[in-house]
Amino acid sequence: MAMNPKELAHAEIAEIAPLIKSKEISPVELVDLSLSRIAELDSTINAFIHVFEDEARATARAQEQEITSGAYRGPLHGIPIGIKDIYENGPTTCGSKTLDGYVAAEDCFSVKKLKEAGAIVVGKTGTYEFAYGPPTLETHFPPTRNGWNTNFECGGSSSGTAGAIAAGLTYAGMGSCTGGSIRWPAQCCGHVGLKHTYGRVSRRGVYPLSQSLDHVGPLARTVQDAAYMLQGCAGFDPLDPGSADVAVPDFSAKIGRDIKGMRFGVMRDLYEDSASPAVIRAFDAALRQIEKLGAQTIDVPCISLEQLLAFAFPLMWADAGAIHVRNLRTRAADYGRHTKLYLLWGLCMSNAAYQDGLRVRAQVRDQLLDHLTSKVDVLILPTVGFQTPRVLEQTPGLEFLHGEAFPFYTPIFNHTGLPAIQVPCGFDDDHMPIGLQIAGKPFDEQTIVQAAYAYEQEAGWYKQRPDI
Amino acid sequence: MDTRAVIRAKLAEFDLDVSEEDLDELVPAYENLLRQQKMVEAMLESKPLTEGMEMPLSEPILVHNIARYR
Repeated sequence: MAMNPKELAHAEIAEIAPLIKSKEISPVELVDLSLSRIAELDSTINAFIHVFEDEARATARAQEQEITSGAYRGPLHGIPIGIKDIYENGPTTCGSKTLDGYVAAEDCFSVKKLKEAGAIVVGKTGTYEFAYGPPTLETHFPPTRNGWNTNFECGGSSSGTAGAIAAGLTYAGMGSCTGGSIRWPAQCCGHVGLKHTYGRVSRRGVYPLSQSLDHVGPLARTVQDAAYMLQGCAGFDPLDPGSADVAVPDFSAKIGRDIKGMRFGVMRDLYEDSASPAVIRAFDAALRQIEKLGAQTIDVPCISLEQLLAFAFPLMWADAGAIHVRNLRTRAADYGRHTKLYLLWGLCMSNAAYQDGLRVRAQVRDQLLDHLTSKVDVLILPTVGFQTPRVLEQTPGLEFLHGEAFPFYTPIFNHTGLPAIQVPCGFDDDHMPIGLQIAGKPFDEQTIVQAAYAYEQEAGWYKQRPDI
Repeated sequence: MDTRAVIRAKLAEFDLDVSEEDLDELVPAYENLLRQQKMVEAMLESKPLTEGMEMPLSEPILVHNIARYR
C-alpha cells in the first residue's frame, strides 16, 4: 500500500500498525512526519502546548531497533500520539497561567501504560483551562482550530488532542471527560471518542475536575483505533480510589460481528426538543441505517435536558470549586476571569442541594440500568444538539449558566458512569461533522464498540478526512 | 438579604472576596442555580411517612457503585 505523506498523516492506526510490524514503515518515519507537520501547521492549529521533539525522536529510534529485532509490542507500537496537558507527563500547565513552569516528576499511570504499549508521545495538547468548558478567549493559550475548517473550533475541553488528530499531526490521543470533554471534541472533529466505564482507566496523575465524574480516555479516527488506545491504557490502579478492580477484556473482540437483533434504546426525551434540525436529520438517518443492519430501535423514557442540566453542571462545578478553593485564595488573579467565576459559582451551592443532586443522579443511573438490563442492549442519542461552533470573537461570559437550554447531552453518562462512544453520523451545511453516542452496560465496552463499528462501517463517514 | 449579599456571604465562608463586576455576572447565574436546585428537589423520589414527613428513596452516591449491575 503506497501512501503519500498527507495520506500517511491521516491514516488509521489499523492501517499503519501492520506496516510497522512488517517493517515497511518505521516509527522514525512516522515521528518525523508528525513533527514536520507540527512545525508546518501548528502555528495555525494551536493543538500543542509542548512538543517533545528530542524525546520522541529518541524513542522512535529505540523502537525501530526493537521492531527490527523482532520485538513487536502491538498495534500502538511506534504510533505518535498527543496527551492532553492535564496529564502529568513532563511540563504540565493544565492550560493555565497558574502552572507555568511546572514539570511533573514522573509520568501519570495511564501515560506510562501507553508508553509500555509502544505509543510515542510527541507532545502535550491544548485544553480549556483546567479542563473546564465552555470556551473563552481569556485562557493563557490560543484556541485550537479545526482541521476541517480553521474558522471553527475543536470543542473541548480536550481541544488540542482532537485538533491534532484532525490536522494529521497525530494518529490518536488522550483526552479527559467530566461532562463530555472526550465526546464533544471528537464530534467537532469527526473522530471517535471513547469514554469508558467509570473506574476503567486510572485517573492518578491527571488534574481532577470532579473525582466522581472524571474519566480519562482516547480520541482516535475510528472505532478500531479507539479500542486499541483504550486497550493500551485500561487497568486497575490500587492508588486511584475510583479505579475498578475488574478484568480488562479484549475491547476489539466483538469488532466485525453483526448487530442483527441488537436493541437500541433511543433517548428521545433528552434530545428531541433541543437538537438542531441538522442534528435531528443526521441522527434519524443514522437510526434508519442501524435498522437496515437488522437492529431494533426502541424509544426509552429518560429525563429531559432541563432536568439533566439542573444537576449535571451544578454538581460538577461544586466539586471543581472545592478542588480549587485553596488555589483561589492565593492565585485568583492568575486564573482566566471566567474560569474563576465558574469556580465561585460552584462554591455557592449549598450542601443540601448537593446531596439532592447526588440522590437524583442515582435515580437516573438506576433508570438507565433498568433499561439496559431488561429492555435494550445499548442506548443511543446525538452527542450534542448543536453544530460545531466558530472560533469565538468574544468571551460569552456566564450566559451558559443563566438557564437557557444548552443542548449538551454527554454529561448523563458521566453522572451514571456508563461507557459511551461518540461516532460521526454526518455533516452540516458548513461541512462540519455531526455525531451520535452509544452507551452500554457497566464494563461492557465491547458491545458499544461492536455497535459503533457496525454503524461506522455501514455509514462510511470515517472515510472522509480534512484536506489539510 | 439581596442576592449580591448572599453570594458575598457564601464566598466569605471560604475567605474569598468578590468584586462588584464579578457579582454582576454571578447574580443571574446564582439565581438560575436556585431555580435548578428547586427542580432537582422536585425530581427526588421519596415515600410519605406521616403528615408533612417523607423519606428519600435513593442514596446520595459518592461513587457510582455500578459493579453490582455487571
